[in-house]
Amino acid sequence: MTVRRDLVGAVLAVSILAVAPPLVGSSYLVGVLTVAVIYGLWAASWDFMSGLTGRENFGFALFIGAGAYTAGFLDTLAHLSPWWGLAAGMAAAALFSLLLGFPTLRLKGPYFALAMLSASAIMQRLMLIFWETTGGEEGLYGIAPLFSSPLAYYYFVLAATVASVAFLVMLARSPWGLILRAIRGDEATCLAAGIDVTFYKMVSLIISAAFGGLGGALYAHYQLQVSPQLFSVVTTITVIIMVYVGGMGSIYGALGGALLLTLLTELLRDFGQWRLLVYSLTLILILFFLPGGLVAPLWRRLRGGGGR
Amino acid sequence: MLEILLYGAVTSAIYALLAVGFTLIFGVARILNLAHGSFYALGAYATYVLSSTLHLPLALAAPLAVLCVAGFGVLLERVLVRPLRGSQIGVLMITLAASLVVEQVLLITFGSEYRNVPSFIDGKVAIGHVDIGGQRLLTLGVAVVALGALLLLIHRTRFGAAILAVSQDPEAAQYLGIPADRVFAQVMGLSAGLAALAAVLAAPFLTVQPGMGLLPMVKAFAIVIVGGLGSIPGSILGALLLGYSETIVAYLVSTSWTELVSLVAVLFTLVLRPAGLFGKRAAF
Repeated sequence: MTVRRDLVGAVLAVSILAVAPPLVGSSYLVGVLTVAVIYGLWAASWDFMSGLTGRENFGFALFIGAGAYTAGFLDTLAHLSPWWGLAAGMAAAALFSLLLGFPTLRLKGPYFALAMLSASAIMQRLMLIFWETTGGEEGLYGIAPLFSSPLAYYYFVLAATVASVAFLVMLARSPWGLILRAIRGDEATCLAAGIDVTFYKMVSLIISAAFGGLGGALYAHYQLQVSPQLFSVVTTITVIIMVYVGGMGSIYGALGGALLLTLLTELLRDFGQWRLLVYSLTLILILFFLPGGLVAPLWRRLRGGGGR
Repeated sequence: MLEILLYGAVTSAIYALLAVGFTLIFGVARILNLAHGSFYALGAYATYVLSSTLHLPLALAAPLAVLCVAGFGVLLERVLVRPLRGSQIGVLMITLAASLVVEQVLLITFGSEYRNVPSFIDGKVAIGHVDIGGQRLLTLGVAVVALGALLLLIHRTRFGAAILAVSQDPEAAQYLGIPADRVFAQVMGLSAGLAALAAVLAAPFLTVQPGMGLLPMVKAFAIVIVGGLGSIPGSILGALLLGYSETIVAYLVSTSWTELVSLVAVLFTLVLRPAGLFGKRAAF
């Protein structure tokens, strides 16, 4: 019953997203929605690893940046077909997650969060230091678009995001996802039950990173340039705030949170320099007053029935 | 050679001030403070405002700046961290949000351009064949004195005994009449003050801009992981290791590669000896 209602809700939401641009007919809205949907993909990927297993990834920007720069390099230096960039972006992000996850995810405590934060901050510095290859502050530009029309690209991004998020939600609701939730609940008990905790955390990080990298590559082909700002802590915290607004651990909530926050910030457009301040204050308020988030709990109430 | 010895010592001294404060609040209150870098940035900006805008003499502005930041640290613990201390992730999130707020407020108030903070000593000193800025030598001296004073404070005073007791078991300390909550706030203030001291000393020869706190904080993480989370001697040793490794890499290879040193150090430590050099169960 709840599954059917979830499906109805999903179809409704996706059709609104699909119909809105032609109905409103503004190219500006298409741009805003493309970015919002890409942020949604990032937020959902972050939630898949960190929301389910409870290991907060403070360096998610590393995967976003890795995907975007890989797509950018393939396009501007290697002149391969831009479609390769999407696959290569996913692969590069997964590789980074393996490199950093292996030493840190075995350990208890805050090592994972700290190591990821450091790694993304250092990657951002490296992009500036090796400016001859990376383009420094300006980054890479002149990346080829995937489609000539922005609307077609928006539909492509929407389809890719919906497919990815559906995949992640299904995975999270499978027995496999149940194990991830169990790890968040009590790692020691999971170990005692014969679950290889590190393996599950590792694989979920790789999945999360791969979709983050995909989002990065999509973003690169939307902006037609990439800048070191993608690696910044601000990128990570923006994604995390979206997940918190959406409600941790539900994945579809993260997508909703991303759409909500991006569209709301468009209303605050004239106060551009206040945007991040508003975001961080939102996070503080949510932590204090709505620790369960906004979007996912609201949907659960609307839908009725228990579950996620 | 002498150059590496001197400049490495100055770098290590700044790192040690930052790392010791970071490890202290973790060891005592299990608070992983992601706002530690903003103490550093606030220290530099407070000195800038007090000396350049309010035209206070530097000898007055510098200690005042350290005090202000220490007060900010206490306030941060009281208002934002304490209600969420039950969950480690809550503390991480709230301190990260606070650091972002600080950075944005600095950006909106002062803009993104670099600011100049006056130095105590302008001249250069010749040691052997090496010319080194007087301010750098002063930084080294003050840092050594401050760290020595901190160790004395922890191991020789009643307040230090309270800190040690709370770090071992906050509840038991509470039963013995030590107000654990107040000790947490005081230690947060101490930790903030140390970071601000590092900023006041180092700001004249480093760049002062709103995002300046992030990289020093990343270095502090690295040092603390290498030295062992919660261990003060560990983080001093870690600061020396990292400070000298960076200086040696800068001289032998190129300054570009120095940023990688801390990341490599963290990854190696986590693979080979996750507890760090001095990491044990006990806090100190």
